[in-house]
Order: sequence, then C-alpha cells, then structure tokens
Amino acid sequence: MPYHDVIVIGGGLAGMRAAIAAKAAGVDVGLVSKIHPLRSQSSGSHSGINAAIKSDDSWQSHAEDTIKAGAYLADQDVVEAMCQDALRDVVLLEHMGVPFSRDGDGLIDVMPFGGSSQPRTCYVGDSAGHIVLQVLYENIVRMGIATYDEWTATSLMIADGACCGVTAYDLASGKLEALSARSTVLATGGIGRLFATSTSALFATADGVGMAYRAGVPLMDMEMVQFHPTTLKGKGLVVSEAARGEGAYLVNAAGDRFMSNYSTDGDRAPELEARELCTQAIDTEIQEGRGDDGCVFLDFRHLDNDRIDDRLPETRFLVKTYLGLDITKDLVPVQPAAHRPVGGIQVDAQGATGVAGLYAAGEAACSGAHGAGRLAGNSMLDSIVFGRRAGEAAASNSRAAGKTEAPANLLAEQVEQAQGLSTRDGSSDSIGSLRRQLNQTLQSSMGVRRDGASLEQAVSAIQDLKERYQHIAVPTIGGPYNPSLPAYLELGNMLDAAHIMLTCAAARQESRGAHQRGDKPDRDDADWLQHTVAVSIPEGPQVSTKPVTITQWQPS
Amino acid sequence: MEITLKFYRFSPGNGSKGDFQEYPVEIDESATVLDALMQVKEDQDSTIAFRGSCRTGFCGDCTMRISRRNRMACSTTVGAAQNEGTITVEPVRLITTTKDMMYDLDTWVYDKYKAVEPWIETDQKSPDKEHVVSNKVVQDLRKVMSCTMCWLCDEGCSTMVVDRKFVGPLALTKAYRSVFDPRDNRTEARLKNLSEKNGMWDCCHCYEASEHCPKGIDPTERIFALRNKAIKANAGIPTVRNHYRSFAKSVKSHGWLDEARLAIETEGLTNIKGQLKQVPLAIKAFRKGKRPLPYFLHEKREGRDRIKRIFEKWEENE
Repeated sequence: MPYHDVIVIGGGLAGMRAAIAAKAAGVDVGLVSKIHPLRSQSSGSHSGINAAIKSDDSWQSHAEDTIKAGAYLADQDVVEAMCQDALRDVVLLEHMGVPFSRDGDGLIDVMPFGGSSQPRTCYVGDSAGHIVLQVLYENIVRMGIATYDEWTATSLMIADGACCGVTAYDLASGKLEALSARSTVLATGGIGRLFATSTSALFATADGVGMAYRAGVPLMDMEMVQFHPTTLKGKGLVVSEAARGEGAYLVNAAGDRFMSNYSTDGDRAPELEARELCTQAIDTEIQEGRGDDGCVFLDFRHLDNDRIDDRLPETRFLVKTYLGLDITKDLVPVQPAAHRPVGGIQVDAQGATGVAGLYAAGEAACSGAHGAGRLAGNSMLDSIVFGRRAGEAAASNSRAAGKTEAPANLLAEQVEQAQGLSTRDGSSDSIGSLRRQLNQTLQSSMGVRRDGASLEQAVSAIQDLKERYQHIAVPTIGGPYNPSLPAYLELGNMLDAAHIMLTCAAARQESRGAHQRGDKPDRDDADWLQHTVAVSIPEGPQVSTKPVTITQWQPS
Repeated sequence: MEITLKFYRFSPGNGSKGDFQEYPVEIDESATVLDALMQVKEDQDSTIAFRGSCRTGFCGDCTMRISRRNRMACSTTVGAAQNEGTITVEPVRLITTTKDMMYDLDTWVYDKYKAVEPWIETDQKSPDKEHVVSNKVVQDLRKVMSCTMCWLCDEGCSTMVVDRKFVGPLALTKAYRSVFDPRDNRTEARLKNLSEKNGMWDCCHCYEASEHCPKGIDPTERIFALRNKAIKANAGIPTVRNHYRSFAKSVKSHGWLDEARLAIETEGLTNIKGQLKQVPLAIKAFRKGKRPLPYFLHEKREGRDRIKRIFEKWEENE
C-alpha cells in the first residue's frame, strides 16, 4: 500500500500550495487529483490576490474590508492571520515565478476591486488563476513531488479516531486503491455543479464536503454560497471583477447605471461595491422588470481599446468565443450565478479539522475568514495562505507522529460497495436525470433570495433524490479508463452537500451577507451572530451553532 | 436541436482499431460539444471516456477532432460543429490514445514539458521583496504563460509527424518563458539543454504551430527567439552557430546564399575532420551537377545593397 507522510487531495491552488509547503518542510508528499492539476478549476479565475503591499495601505484596513464584506460573521482572529500573511505569501508567489503585473517602478501593481476601500488586488493581467496554477505546478515538478493524476479520492480512511489516508479510484487502471498517510489535506474545491448555472468547472462536485460529512467531520456555514454578480448570459462563465475594476459600467435595459441607487459608499465607483450587494442589486433590477431577458449589461465601450488589450484580453476572448460579441463595441448581457461556497469543512487557522491527521484548505474548507460573504480577491488569497498553512501543519503532524498504515479492511469495504453497484436491479433514473433535478431544486431554493418554506420543501426533495440515488445501477465498474464509478460517487457527494446546505439555510433565521431570506429580511445580531455547524447523524445533517470570534471590529 | 453524436470508441488490447458509436442527443444549438458529451455520459453511457474541465477554454483539456477539425470541445458550439445534424468526435491524428478520447499525454505532452525544466530559479533564497521588473517584460511572459497546453501546436507540428521524439512547440513555448524571465539565473544552461538532440534546432519553421495556437501565442516566433538568444550567447552546438552565422553573412554580402561557403564554414575552417566528412557529399553533389563556385568567385546578386540595408536596419534595432 503506497504511503506518504502527507497526502493532499486536490491539485488546484490550495492543494498544490499545501503540497509545496509540506515538501519544503522536509516530509514526503503525494498529490492526488481526479484531473491533471494543470486542468484544475482554479485556472478559470481571472481576478487576483488581495494583499496590503502598498505603503499607504495596511493589513488592518484589509481585515476591516474583509469583515464588512462578510457581514460580521467572520472570525476576526482568522481574518487577521490571513491579512497579515498576505504580504509575505504574495511575495513568495512572485519568487516562485508568478509574473505579477507591475507599476511604473517595476513593483507589483494593485487594482481596485469590489468592496475594498482602496486598490489592493495584485493581478496578473486578467489570468491570475491560470498563471498562478501554472507556476505552482512548475514547482511541484521541480520539487519532485509524487503525483497521482486522475485518481479520484472516494473515502477517508479513519481508524482509532484519526485519519490515516484515503481510498482512491485510479482511472487508468480502473482499480480502487488505499493510499496511507499520517496527514491528509482535503483541497477538493467547490460545489458549483450543484447549481443549474454556475461558474464552476465540470468537476466541482463537493467531493471533500461529501467525504468529510460521511466520516463525521463537522462542516461550517454551509448555507453561505456566493453568487458572482456578472456571468455570461446562460453560460455561467465569469466576467472578472477586473472588468469593473477597470471602469466598466453596469447598466439596466434602460441604459441606467443602476448601481448608484444601491451604493453606500460615495468615494468609489458604484460598480465597485462588494459582491453580495452587486449581486442583490442586479437581482432586484431583473426581478423588478428593468432587466432584459433575465440579464443586465456590462458596458466597456467608453474604455480605451489598448487598455482593454493589456488589462482584459481574456475577458475579451471569452465574450467573443461564447456570445460572439466584441466588448469594445457591444453591451455584454450578464447575470448572477453560483460561484463559490463560503462555508465548508470546519477548520482552524492552521487548516486542522476536528479529526486527528485531517486538514482542509481552499474552497472545500471553512476557516471562518470570510463570514457571510467573500471579498473579491480574497478567494485566491485564502487558497494560498491557508493552503500553505495546512501543508505546514500537516507536515509537522507527520513528523511528530511517525509512519502509519491504514487497516486493510477499509479498502475491502469500499471495493465491496463498488461491486454492489453493478448488481443492482436499476431504476428509471440516471446519474444525469438525478443531477438535473438536484440542480433545479437548488437553483430555485438556494439562489440569491431564499425563503423558509421553499427551503423546507427542497430538503424533502433532496431526501427523495438521495433515496432514489441508492437504486441507480452502474452496469460496469472498473476496467481501464472507465469513468463510471467516479461519476456515480460525485453525484452522491453533491446530494450530501445539498442536503447540508439546505438544512443550514433553513436553520439560519435571518438575512445576512450571501444568505438573504424573504421571510426573515433582517440581520439578527442578537441571535444569529453565530456560525452554523453541521454534522452527520443517522437522520441527516444536525445543525448547531458556534459563536463568532470578535477582536477589534464591533458589528455595526 | 436533435443531433447524432458520432463518438469514436477505442479500447486497447482487444485487437480492434475502434469505430464510431452513434448517440442521439437533444440539445440547444448554443450549447457546446462538451455539454453534449457530458449529456451522453450522464444519460446514456457512463463508460465513454474523454477529458474536459473548465468549460471556458482555459484549461486546455478537451482537445478533439470535431467534425473533422481539431479544436476544443468547450469552445465549439453544437450549432457550429453540426453538419446536417451530425457531429463526429474522434481523436486528433498524431497524438495517440489509450482509450476513446483519452490521449497518452504523459508521453506526448507532460514528459516533454518536464524536459525543458519549465520553472525559474532565482538567486534570493529568503525573499522579502519582489523582483523589480518592467511591466513590458512581464506582459510578454504573461502572453506565453496564457498557454493552456491544449497541444494543438504539437498536433500541427511538421517535425513531430516524422519524429515524435522532437520536444515540440508546446514545450519550447514553456522554455521561452524560463529563458526570457529576467528573474531566472540559469539562462546559459537552459540554452545548452535546448540545443541538445531533439531540441529547438529540429524545428523546421513551417509556422504550423502558430497557425494552430488558439491563444495567438505564436510558438514558432518563440522558437526563433530562443535560437537567436542561443546564437548571441554562444550557447549550444558550435556547428549550428557557424551555420546560422555563415548563412546570414553570405546573404548579407552577396545577396544570396553561398552554399559552398556555408558547408565549409559550418564545420569550421580549422576542423580538418569535419571538412573531410563533407568530401563524399561534395563528390555526390558534383556528380549530380551541383557545382557551386568557390566563394571568392561567388556571384554578387543585383539588389544586394538593398538586402544589406535590411540587415543593417535589423542589427540597429537589435
């Protein structure tokens, strides 16, 4: 059975950053990813990384903006750690090879992004995600880190209360294998495929959340899902925040720059309000009939062409490819779509979960750094800072505790379960039909606006889907390059995640940040300045609450 | 719209070359071919194997031959790909597959990528400040780094058709970044490595790579830039440098190529062994009627002054 001191599940930004940090700390690392790391979802991120690197900025100001964007649900000690680390982590990335865009002095330049009180987002043209991903992978290769490309983790191996690795399906051989590890880092990414329209890649299927949930690991703030305000009509493809950072306008069908009706800060362009506010404003325009076929428009036409080619080339390419429009001449129809989970596997500031030997980072995790909404430019920062921290913590755990080997029966159980799928009688459902019903359920109940009754209804709809999921037959399991088993298991992870999200959303009796309920329209600090924490019990997810840590910024 | 998706199935080891399998699909014409494939996988046949991830043309994973043209499935709409209601999906021609649309990317792409050591190595070990670099330089690096490794350039490469060991335009584009990144401290060693067998000098400058690149990165020009840098830095194989310089020298001075001089200068005037090696070739050429005059008699072409001026202008700009 292969053993590594540290196994990282997920080859996106957080996973690769964790693997690099663990390797640099001197332990043996294996990087397991269900797709080749270079093809990860992170590649699609066009935004940038927030860090108070300029002399007129401060990490305190960054922290304050973060806490406000999170509607005071963020744990402020964790926010402080992230904003302080940001400065060093950005420079470290630069030394690894990221060609950050430069200012006139040849130093890293910053751009104004939504919700930030001043320009603070370090950017790489408009392809930060793609390029940082390339650079991290270059370093994975350079450091000789063992990779398991196209291995899908299927379950956490837990023995004596500690995580001792994962079972994983190797696509090339079509076999389930056990990978033992003293420390395991889950960096499996997001949940976008739960929604009918989302900004996610095909494989953002909540795998980490599903595996952790089934292993009894607590999940935090799962009701918080960020919607990106500007995605291409019907496609869910993100038009980067950089577009508005560069000065693009948001206009409604009448051509009005409507954001000025919603803006609360007179100092910056109204389009540069925080994500949650922009999303809700766009949603209101559309709901109240001032949209056009479910969309509002981004207007780039007043911007200089050369500047567009320097700063927004990928945006121009994207709009041209998928809508056939030229941003220098045409209005671009955009609408909000599910973007990033703000909640996830509950971790502390070092990435440690409640289970010994198990860590989590990136979109899969929730450290409390974002609260109820996420500042643009803080997502990549989260992956980089907490990815590194989780990798370091996992490495020191492995060094302290020494080698381990997972009991053989854990793999045998998985193999037996998988074989059971092929002998089922089957039903009229397919993986696709259940996924589409799941998508519709979440799209209608967990969108920009929610209400208690439809959430309750959706919970029982998901319970029904989970039941039917148990009857889908998977006729052929295994064999070289047979993707059947991972496709089936992904749906199971999505159903579990949906169940948790809906239950938590129904539990939170207020509106805050990304969680807006028509039946509970006000923020309720007296009762709900609390995280939701969900764990698995036989009846389904059980929700409790946990107080928010406040250090120096009082809720207002 | 109702379409028939003809998807090429192939399994290793069963002796068959594979064949098309037809799947009827009901899908909007603005959806992408990748959407159609996902629909088949989820609803009809969970065993069909293909790659694809980001849906937006940034991850480069879903390169296929779609209705007889190599392209990315996520960037091709059903409407654009269909021909009388049929879309064919098959592997590209050159890069081999292990099953269906699963390419052997380790052999064809990732190992070559790794061979050029596509990272940078900097001097500062514990950094506390970023490097000072002009925005113009990082802009150029960003352009090459926008490469999605979709390997359409390698698939179009003329050299690769006859020699699959050639490192190829994809890896050389990655190498360009490492060589031209001012933060890297291994330029000389890199140029030497790239000048090895199967390296950058095997490019036959057909420009197919640039024609095929969906990102407009222009891999062919990147290879030329690497070669020029190697010549200037006196790195790599001496005979290649001699050949390169002699070629330019005779065109500059005479307005056209002096083949005899090229042959002699490539090996180096004092390289007796090298010169002797050319004797059989010279005899063979002579017999076939190819009898270049000794270079002191090489005719100067009309208009050579203008050609010379092009060279001088170029040298000024360099």
